[in-house]
Amino acid sequence: METRVYSVKEDWYARITIAVAFIALLLGGVFGVLQVISRTPYWPNLYEYLAGLGIGGGASELYYRGLTAHGVLLAIVLTTFYIVGVSAYLTPRVLGVNIKPQTLNVSLAMMVIGTALAAIAIIFGWANVLYTFYLPLVASPLFYIGAALLILGSWVFAAGVFISYLEWRRANPGVAIPVTFFGIMTTFIVWIMATIPLVFIVLKNHVPASLLGWEADALESRLFFWWFGHALVYFWLLPAITIWYYYVPKALGVPLFSETMAKIAFMLFILASTPVGLHHQLVDPGINPYFKYLQTVLTLIVASPSMLTAFNIIATMERAGRAGGGDGLFGWLFKQPWRDPVFTGLILALITFGSGGITGIINASYQLNNVVHNTAWVVGHFHTTVGTAVVLTFMAYTYLLIRDLYGRNVILRNVSLAVPILWFVGMMIFSISYYTAGLAGSPRRTSIVTYGGSIPPEWVLPMQIAAIGAIIFSLGGLIFLVQFFGSLASGARIPLTQPTLVIMNPHKPGPATILDNIRLIIVAAIILNIIAYSGALIEIYYLRGLSPVPPIHP
Amino acid sequence: MESREAVFEYIWILLIVAVIVGLSASMAYYGFARGLNPTCEAYTLEEARKAGISLEPGVREVGPGIYEVTIDARQFTFIPREVVLKDPNRVTFRVYSLDVIHGLSIVGTSVNIMVLPGYVAEFVWEPPKNAKGEFLVLCTEYCGIGHQLMYAKLVIERSSAQMAGGG
Repeated sequence: METRVYSVKEDWYARITIAVAFIALLLGGVFGVLQVISRTPYWPNLYEYLAGLGIGGGASELYYRGLTAHGVLLAIVLTTFYIVGVSAYLTPRVLGVNIKPQTLNVSLAMMVIGTALAAIAIIFGWANVLYTFYLPLVASPLFYIGAALLILGSWVFAAGVFISYLEWRRANPGVAIPVTFFGIMTTFIVWIMATIPLVFIVLKNHVPASLLGWEADALESRLFFWWFGHALVYFWLLPAITIWYYYVPKALGVPLFSETMAKIAFMLFILASTPVGLHHQLVDPGINPYFKYLQTVLTLIVASPSMLTAFNIIATMERAGRAGGGDGLFGWLFKQPWRDPVFTGLILALITFGSGGITGIINASYQLNNVVHNTAWVVGHFHTTVGTAVVLTFMAYTYLLIRDLYGRNVILRNVSLAVPILWFVGMMIFSISYYTAGLAGSPRRTSIVTYGGSIPPEWVLPMQIAAIGAIIFSLGGLIFLVQFFGSLASGARIPLTQPTLVIMNPHKPGPATILDNIRLIIVAAIILNIIAYSGALIEIYYLRGLSPVPPIHP
Repeated sequence: MESREAVFEYIWILLIVAVIVGLSASMAYYGFARGLNPTCEAYTLEEARKAGISLEPGVREVGPGIYEVTIDARQFTFIPREVVLKDPNRVTFRVYSLDVIHGLSIVGTSVNIMVLPGYVAEFVWEPPKNAKGEFLVLCTEYCGIGHQLMYAKLVIERSSAQMAGGG
């Protein structure tokens, strides 16, 4: 079956949202560089110079303001905007169905306005609460309103995706869902399930605390935040995994090793990515160890689809490499298109994700969490996951989008390959050094690490090496951003056949199986959430009762 | 060829299941059979008041080597700022906050907990026999723009008799 779809509106939406995403990468990256240099022992504290110019309320106030901006811009703005953009780009192409233009207009307006409001609150220092905004620290109401608009805007987009799916399903009854679209839909199912607890707690606790000064319970607020917070990481990760499944087989010219395995992985993500937030609260007082243990086991289960994905992608590579004449145990590795910056970027992201996955299992491992909780280790961990598995994937894939979506030639094409390599090498140096510093007890989220006039000597060298790694991967990021914005501004135009003609439905999809029964898996996920959280909720609300405290501005 | 590849697929799935089951079992064993939980008791400040638990910050030796240490964590200090323990075998910490969320970690040990305002976190620490000297105590959760200033000191003194005996 062949469908002709013109994706003009989707492409317009994707061009704007992806550009916003990379503006966020630029700004968030600048704060990142300032931070890592300033907190590194015996390196210049750049925030002190800035404070000396009369900006802000002192070096540490500026540091936490910048840290809030770094977290919000990179973990929320960059990811959300890129994800809706790439989903808008891919959906008509893989499904052959348009997204309702109203949903695109409304979601874009809400997301942009929300981001602007939150950005104002952060830039003026009215929201020095970091991106986790734990009560009783409160920010200006502007911050919560902005964040809420951003999230609700993404819900409107998600609604557009679901409507497209239903349209496609009506036109194609009994046909298996294309894997790429399965990934996009999984992303937004997880996102909706994740953000419900967040919206609930922000409306119940944060907004009244900020607007009216009402008291709120810290433990309750943290519980709902992390119910959202860990599912959030799968919202980041799922599109990256979708891109791996979409592009790697395409670059190699072979089918994915196992579509069934890919769908099972997505199913497991829907099932288990939300009921795992308590592993962020393993050392919180006031939650029974049995409930924490239950969610630890669920966390291990949600690690399994990542392991399936790694196998599936690497098996696809091996199959293509062997078909291309690579033999022996590792010969196939040399028959890969390593000169392609997109392919290399995706595979280096995948490899880094392996390291992030293993440290993630350590973080969630109950007793071991005591050793690493809130140390620099955690910073190393999430820079390998969201910071590389996700962001490097997005950057690498964008090389294609510059051509196919923006209709421009990539400028400085010869240095493209340097971007994934610098990012990967720098991030390995950074993360391994922060693991080392964290194991020696070096904390995260502090503007400096000097205590009582001295720095514990075992933190010094790893933190300095980490800063060098950070500069290396930032250099990769800088090259990418110059290429991205430079290509948009001055890259040679490629005549896109206007409007973009899309022909889809690749290798004939087979009949739908139990794996295409999305409704079943959503119901199962909701039941699992109820089982995983009811104990802790009963304990907090009824067995002990809340202990609210008044809000405090940082 | 196809079936050979499928075998690897099944081996990999078995491996994943083995990892999940193995790790879960080991955590359950250490957590529930050996009492090694990464957690602590908590009660609300109100419950503490009703139960007559003193929240006066300070160190009390309630038996030989048995200590009770009560700490008030607040923006941006711990009270007391210095805790001295002589030959401790068993230390019960009660840490609470009246303002915002803090964390308490004793660098170089496995003590690492969150301190939530409105709650008293209580946990027992049995210091390793070779733990001796000065330890840095840090706030590990962002608690405001003076977060980096928040630390305290823990001093463990060992009498020579115990060092010789306990090893």
